[in-house]
Amino acid sequence: MPGRDSFLYLVRAEWTKLRTVRGWVVGLALAAILTVGLGMLGPLGSQIACDHVNGAAISACHVTGPPHDATGQEVDDESTFVHRTLTGDGSITARLTAFGGKYFPSGGGPADPTADPTAGMADGLQPWSKAGILVKNGTTFGSAYAAVLATGTHGVRMQYDYTHDTAGPAVTVGSATPRWLRLTRAGDTLTGYDSADGTTWTEIGTARLTNLPRNVEVGVFATSPDFAVVKNSFGGSATNTGPSLATGTFDQIAVTGQSSGAWTVPAIGSAAAGDGGPGAARGPEAVAGAVPSAGGGFTVTGTGDIAPSVPDEGQGKTPESALAGTFGGLIAVIVVAALTMTSEYRRGLIRVSLAASPRRGRLLAAKAVVLGGVSFVVGLAAAAIAVPGVRAVEHSKRMYVYYASTQAEIRMVIGTAALLAVSAVFALAVATIVRRGAAAVAAVIVVIILPYLLAVASVLPAGAAEWLARVTPAAAFAVQQTVIAWPQVRASYTPTNGFYPLSPWLGLAVLCLYAAAAYAVAHRQLRRRDV
Amino acid sequence: MTTRTAAPPPAIAVQALRKRFGATAALDGMSFDVAAGKVTGFVGPNGAGKTTTMRVVLGLDTPDEGRALVNGVPYAKLRRPLGHIGALLDAAALQPGRSARSHLLWLAHSQGLGAKRVEEVVAQSGLGSAIRRKAGGYSLGMRQRLGIAAAMLGDPPVVMLDEPFNGLDPEGILWIRGYLKALAGEGRAVLVSSHLMSELEGCADHLVVVGRGKVIADTGVAELIARSSSGRVVLRTASRAEATTALANAGGTVAVTGPDTLTVDGLTAEEVVRVLSAGAVPFAEVSAHRASLEEAYMDLTRDSVEFRAATAGEVA
Amino acid sequence: MNPFRDALHAEWTKLRTVAGTAWLLATTFLLTVGLSAVSAATVTCDGTRCGEDPAKVGLLGVMAGQAVVAVLAVLAVGEEYGTGMIRVTFAAMPRREVVLAAKATVVAAVTAAAGVLAVLASALVALALLPGHGFTPANGYADLATAATLRAAAGSVLYLVLIALLGVGVTTLLRDSAAAVGAVLGLLYLFPVLAQVISNPDWHRHALQLAPMQAGLDVQATIDVAGQPLSPWQGLGVLALWAFGVLGLGGLTLRMRDA
Repeated sequence: MPGRDSFLYLVRAEWTKLRTVRGWVVGLALAAILTVGLGMLGPLGSQIACDHVNGAAISACHVTGPPHDATGQEVDDESTFVHRTLTGDGSITARLTAFGGKYFPSGGGPADPTADPTAGMADGLQPWSKAGILVKNGTTFGSAYAAVLATGTHGVRMQYDYTHDTAGPAVTVGSATPRWLRLTRAGDTLTGYDSADGTTWTEIGTARLTNLPRNVEVGVFATSPDFAVVKNSFGGSATNTGPSLATGTFDQIAVTGQSSGAWTVPAIGSAAAGDGGPGAARGPEAVAGAVPSAGGGFTVTGTGDIAPSVPDEGQGKTPESALAGTFGGLIAVIVVAALTMTSEYRRGLIRVSLAASPRRGRLLAAKAVVLGGVSFVVGLAAAAIAVPGVRAVEHSKRMYVYYASTQAEIRMVIGTAALLAVSAVFALAVATIVRRGAAAVAAVIVVIILPYLLAVASVLPAGAAEWLARVTPAAAFAVQQTVIAWPQVRASYTPTNGFYPLSPWLGLAVLCLYAAAAYAVAHRQLRRRDV
Repeated sequence: MTTRTAAPPPAIAVQALRKRFGATAALDGMSFDVAAGKVTGFVGPNGAGKTTTMRVVLGLDTPDEGRALVNGVPYAKLRRPLGHIGALLDAAALQPGRSARSHLLWLAHSQGLGAKRVEEVVAQSGLGSAIRRKAGGYSLGMRQRLGIAAAMLGDPPVVMLDEPFNGLDPEGILWIRGYLKALAGEGRAVLVSSHLMSELEGCADHLVVVGRGKVIADTGVAELIARSSSGRVVLRTASRAEATTALANAGGTVAVTGPDTLTVDGLTAEEVVRVLSAGAVPFAEVSAHRASLEEAYMDLTRDSVEFRAATAGEVA
Repeated sequence: MNPFRDALHAEWTKLRTVAGTAWLLATTFLLTVGLSAVSAATVTCDGTRCGEDPAKVGLLGVMAGQAVVAVLAVLAVGEEYGTGMIRVTFAAMPRREVVLAAKATVVAAVTAAAGVLAVLASALVALALLPGHGFTPANGYADLATAATLRAAAGSVLYLVLIALLGVGVTTLLRDSAAAVGAVLGLLYLFPVLAQVISNPDWHRHALQLAPMQAGLDVQATIDVAGQPLSPWQGLGVLALWAFGVLGLGGLTLRMRDA
């Protein structure tokens, strides 16, 4: 295959060209150094927040971060749970006959906490207020569970182990439209059902809770996440939040299987007492708890959430913050990539190169392969050093690092390498088109980094920011996102807060699209133009 | 007490320049003067230090030791230096997007000159209407002409050109030779570098031959050629044996250089004719050999071990 | 015969006789006004006191325009190094610091001219659009055309001029256009990205105070001026320190290095 061989020769020639210019090698080394070094600046320039909150000495302050479940995923696990023990297989069935809530419409807490803790609250459920039945591995925080529940506006659902959420019928449950819910346990498998009348049951989904012990707690629960007005007009930064309450009334509660003992019923205000924090007893938690109601049922009032928790700026570092230096590396790679082409034009070397390889498209392809490959390797090495390196500094400074699955971390590292590689090819293509190093470098940097800045750190409204993070090459930074925008948790999922509208690889694909378009134009220009 | 009018300083005085670039000594005690009214050829192989010397003269590079003066003044002290010395170092050193005329215009403005002076040098340059085109589209020959026009902007008494023959067609080479001679004829000092002696044939009055960063020979062209030519006579004759005997007896050294040609050293042409006539040896032609500049150069450099080393080093 | 005046004349002739200058100035204008207009058209203020600074909203385009200004400034120096014409320049004008000063002056002057037009147009667009987007007296924005707005506008022009000087200085140091553009835009754009991940409030504040772009754009603050990391003119002063510091360093290396 002479054609393939000669392309390999071309690649080899381009590789020789690249590695024999000292400035370019320095530039690529600089890319790695900037990526790692600037990433290190983050934790080195950060202190754990409690230093400033309490004025306590650093040594006395250890941030453990938000509570998490067995995998490490940060979760909320707060509800009012009326429960008893079920041994072995069995089921729980209950009918939710009323479902309502209260919240502070202007955010914040009670105006006069010493008086009625619910004074100033308006009636109404939050979209993700929850009431339903729960099977849980004990009552310790973060333990495994499965639940079938009604929500404020998202219908009946089956959820388990915090992060899993399966939609059931999209009905609104209330006193006029009660709903039957059922969970059955068979070994590790839990199956959720829903019924309008208690006779015709529809399966919503199943959950496998591995290593679930023989004894589990079963019962009815209610909880309600904070009320939040997310003002999307300003980068999502302006949010009004305040606690809310949800009250579910259950009857026809039936537990089958081996279940003994009485219901454990949390008294009104017991959650607040357990919380012990100042002011807790005067907040809405003071009215959370359960009371028996007609027909052997319970009226359960809860506040909080059983769900994954979204990283909060003050509490720790996100894994992707270790790669903030990518921007520095990106600029260095862009400069080198543009120069490899424009220097050929400047010195007239392009004529030599094209004489050696009259098929001009292959010259461009060889350059792209070499630059893309080298940038990928540089990016991979830099990211692979930066992520554990920054992590080590963060740990040594006792900072909490938010959970990300190993898979997500690997994707973040490989994605960073790909981001650099594709950007290098993009810069090469733009440089081929404009044939001016400075203009090419400026254009590529402005097109990739300026939209990022405008999206995450400017006055642009969230809508415009999301649009930028969707259609500009800055979308590619999604590949570094490990924080997850949970559909079942209401939060400000804006680029400012590190949430990109596109999925990681789709975001990278946007940049690829730009690079491919530029490459196509460059290819055409190179073939048509005299040199 | 005798009064003496001070001799005018040399147009260019290069004094014991030394400069290293890393491990290599680009200039290693380079010294020479350039006089007014002559074309001085600055000859040596590539890498001999010609361009570096010129850069030092123009104050672009700083020597480690030594100094260079233009009309007795260091370049940096010159106000509007293009009125003192015009130089062309690299004809390609211009921004391709600017028209040739605009290039001359900014240079003129830098010397407090106006567009009128630009028109004058353009008229001399022979660039004609091409002057309004972008300099990026110029051939090397046109760029040389543009560079020479730029060097002449300040109407300087000293002109210094680095390899102006590069890239020129034969017509262009003739034009430059004539132009340089005319400049010298106007009393200007002209220093022109070349790595090919043949390019300076019939143009240079004086030669500074350099190798490995220092001067090997600093001599007038006529003197050099006379030295190379001296005492060599070419003789064409059918009677080679008789002629050889007769001339050898008369004290000449005879070498056979062809089937009917002999070269005689040690006798003048007149003496050769006299000896042959006296011995009644028939001959077709006797001519005093006049060495070409190239031959003289080769003769000169043959003796210079360092020069050969420099040439070899350049090739290696 | 004044060497600076001659150099100024020569540098002005150089700058105006390359086609790129006009294009870059036009692009500066279009990008600045375009992004400013988009920003003014999309940002709305609902309810009381939405917290946005109308001057920053209306002059957002400066963040894009500065990149083109940087390219203009970088090319003014870098092209001479790239082609070798710098030697012609220094042979004609041996006092290199005078050349640098003249170059910086003409680049600053054309930037100022384009900047005045761009900022003026952006401000007019913003003044026309913002009152219709909730920036009204009812929401706490009494009058948009105030002395503070004028200061923000004039400061934005100066900001662009200082960016141009920074570009000239960095290129004089690096002597390569592409590397210089990368360095200038890196200086401008990297600080805010890094400030994002630095959570220590003091360090965060210092990062924003040191950052040439963030500090310089403090001059656009018209509301909550006291809450900015630096006062408006202090912020511009930080950028001026960067620009003149790098320019001075460039001048120093010009004298020491061979051309």
